[in-house]
Amino acid sequence: MKSWIVAFVFAAAALAVPALAQTAQLPAPPPVEKDLAARASSVDEITLSKNMLAAAAALFMNSKDKDEAATSQLVERLDGIYVRDYEFAKEGQFSIEQIEQLRKYFETSDWTPIVRDRDRKTGESSDIMVKMVNGKSSGLFILDVEPKEISIVLILGPVGMEELGKLKELAFLGIMEGTHHTGPDNSK
Amino acid sequence: MEFEPMEDFDQKLKRSFERWPAPPDLKRRLMENRRRRKERPQWFALPFAVRVAVSLCLLAGVLAALYGGIAANQAEQRRKGEEARQQVLLALRITNHALDHMNRQLAAHNRAHQE
Repeated sequence: MKSWIVAFVFAAAALAVPALAQTAQLPAPPPVEKDLAARASSVDEITLSKNMLAAAAALFMNSKDKDEAATSQLVERLDGIYVRDYEFAKEGQFSIEQIEQLRKYFETSDWTPIVRDRDRKTGESSDIMVKMVNGKSSGLFILDVEPKEISIVLILGPVGMEELGKLKELAFLGIMEGTHHTGPDNSK
Repeated sequence: MEFEPMEDFDQKLKRSFERWPAPPDLKRRLMENRRRRKERPQWFALPFAVRVAVSLCLLAGVLAALYGGIAANQAEQRRKGEEARQQVLLALRITNHALDHMNRQLAAHNRAHQE
């Protein structure tokens, strides 16, 4: 009888693991985020699950705007978006160790670094990593550090360089009006 | 000959024909029941037009409640969608900003190497 129960438990686990693996889960916020958020003068925290993205995609799709329709196509395929942006009033509000903690938290074996740029003089750095599953891109991670700003972007789902290009195009088009974040060309 | 059983039957018959006084509140109870029955609205006693009108009113009420529920649900979904849309736009903007900064940084490094 015991062996049957053990066999059943193993069978259930074997069925459950692939089912869980199919849907990419957004990570829990890293512990260092609390400290960064407490010191930042401006914080943007965005966590969008697949359901929320589907709701947003439906609205984009209903729009007559071509750019919004393009965004809808991009967004509806994604599994999740996790974005954090911390702006600090002055330099030196965060340490290199904290940035390393952030990097290590997100840099797991699934992720492959494609861009790694460091400026030792200014302390600025940029990291881009992609998550490859069966040779296909299934996630994108960006960690961008400026003297007074940290941006963390984690996009789960089929997003590659082509989609990044689209993002850039869309970001410069009119659809970004109405969001309160200051643009890249604005002085910060 | 024995007539005793016959006498017994006779007795029973006599007893059953005897007049018993009605309970004192019987009349009141009967009248009460009758009055109540008259007061109760009888659906099929109502005119056909009234029945149709009442049915239509009930149907309209049910439909209005149903439509209200659906409309409220749709409005809630739209509100959530709009919230998510704004968040997506903000996320795209931050992503773009990070990518732009990275491009600038890489370009600056390239220039420094060339020099």
